[in-house]
Amino acid sequence: MMSDEHLLLKDAAGGDASALEALMSRYGSRVYRLAHGITRNSADAEEIVQDVFLQMVRKGGAFEGRAALGSWIYRVTTNVALNKRRGKRREVETSLEECLPAWEADGHRSGPRAFLVADWSGRPDAELLSGEARRILEEAIDRLPEHYRAVLILKDVEELTNEDVAASIGDSVSAVKTRLHRARMALRELLTRRLGPQT
Amino acid sequence: MMTCRDVNGLLVDYVDGALPPEVAAAVERHLASCEPCRAYLATYRKTRALGAQAARVEIPDEMRTRLRQFLLERAG
Repeated sequence: MMSDEHLLLKDAAGGDASALEALMSRYGSRVYRLAHGITRNSADAEEIVQDVFLQMVRKGGAFEGRAALGSWIYRVTTNVALNKRRGKRREVETSLEECLPAWEADGHRSGPRAFLVADWSGRPDAELLSGEARRILEEAIDRLPEHYRAVLILKDVEELTNEDVAASIGDSVSAVKTRLHRARMALRELLTRRLGPQT
Repeated sequence: MMTCRDVNGLLVDYVDGALPPEVAAAVERHLASCEPCRAYLATYRKTRALGAQAARVEIPDEMRTRLRQFLLERAG
């Protein structure tokens, strides 16, 4: 039996404007967020959204519904966005390493104590999401590799399970968890370097 | 006894509430006596929340309009 979404996709593929509207309403922002999260560019994200929805319309009739439609759409979006970024990609993996915690042989984190105990988490979101702090956050997100940003969006914004993130990007659950942790650690480190020790 | 590095390696599952109870309890025993790890966890959680809020964008209305037009021209 076809799911509601499967029927919607078939109808949209057949040129039904109301089915297309329903799909856009359900998935438009989700596709845009992921595309924008990966490319960090609004014009590129728009091209990706058009491409993904066009694939839905043209190939959606062949979607067999074995996977959840959401996962299928996220997977198409991730592939299109990463392809678009190919060639533009900056090699940031090396610089990401220096944003991860360094460890002493006994398992303690390395660094000055004032930095290690810096806790800026009590600052209001409104302050951290505006002005200089917001700029620091956006720059930190820019420094992450695209695959890491994709995982952050799917897990922390769309709130998918690790298993669903893995299905959406075609990777293993352990790879998803590793990327997620490294991405959060790198962002935390960059924020703490700028916001932390003064508090 | 867990080290700070052991605790750090469990944070993804810890903040998801996905650790077995005995492992979560061991993490909490470490946190109770380790100020740097408490600060790390608090800022790790805050980072997750801030990153999510910064990325929570909606498709702009004018883009949605262009997308609708683009697709209707090609559908069917």
